[in-house]
Amino acid sequence: MGCQHLEELYELYLLGAVSEEGSLDLREHLARGCPHCLGRVREAAETVYVLGLASKPARPHPRVKSELLRLISRKVAPNR
Amino acid sequence: MREELAAENLLARVAQHDVDALSELYDRYAPCVYGLVAHILASRDSAEGILLEVFARLWNESRSLSQEGGSVVAWLVVNAREAAVDRLRALRTNAANAGPQDPGTDGGKGSNAPARKSKAAVLVPPVAKSAAKSLNGKSEVMKRRPADGATTPVVGSLPMAWLPRPKEIALIDDRLVLLHKVIDRLPKPQRQALEFAVFGGLSESEIATGMGEPLGKVRTSLRAAVTFVKHRRRAVCGTWAANI
Repeated sequence: MGCQHLEELYELYLLGAVSEEGSLDLREHLARGCPHCLGRVREAAETVYVLGLASKPARPHPRVKSELLRLISRKVAPNR
Repeated sequence: MREELAAENLLARVAQHDVDALSELYDRYAPCVYGLVAHILASRDSAEGILLEVFARLWNESRSLSQEGGSVVAWLVVNAREAAVDRLRALRTNAANAGPQDPGTDGGKGSNAPARKSKAAVLVPPVAKSAAKSLNGKSEVMKRRPADGATTPVVGSLPMAWLPRPKEIALIDDRLVLLHKVIDRLPKPQRQALEFAVFGGLSESEIATGMGEPLGKVRTSLRAAVTFVKHRRRAVCGTWAANI
């Protein structure tokens, strides 16, 4: 199967906006290891990145970082 | 560009379980990741939960990411968005199952969330369309619950091989402001449909139902919008010769 008909789908597929039928076509095609489509999916991920960063940055509460560091420190502690 | 490439050095250190490197990556990228998930969920508690989850996952998956050569900030943004819209979809399903009496809140106890209501909550009442904020901070929030009960396709975690490379992301980061101006130039119906897909986690058919438009029209709008952004991104980043 060619890739032409998938050209408009990559970004919307990554966003989860494509119909189940379109998703299935793309998934099956990618599973066959098409190098063109792999390149296009990577490019689509760049577009998703650009779109995601259209939201304004915001500062999370410092407790989130404390909690994160507490969680991972527990994981590394036995190795020290 | 230097910043993005330095981030990859930090990632390599995180892969060696360097806590200070993770701390530095967090300081650098938590605001953009948190801004994104807070925009999607509009609940401080939920957004902070996703932020924590994504950075904890980065700690666990840093070795694979580093070996694969994927961009760490792209990994963070794409996975955080996906985790947040998955949460939003689950909230919508729960709220729909609970019926119209249920307030459809996210259960974030003691939340001192932003004033804007959670999109999960506003999607529940059968109210028509309305406006709130958009892709550039002036978007619209859909207030109509999809009536067709369509299942939303979920991609799952993005395979590492699909991630953009750090050099590509560095090019984009250098031109991000311009790229967002480009998005602002999208015709309103296209921008609206794209907003629902990016920040609402809605499928084409759900967007069509919510906007009260034929599926074919919404599908065309969405595809035109992503094609516009893709072509302008190529042009702005110099990876494709085109006028913008």
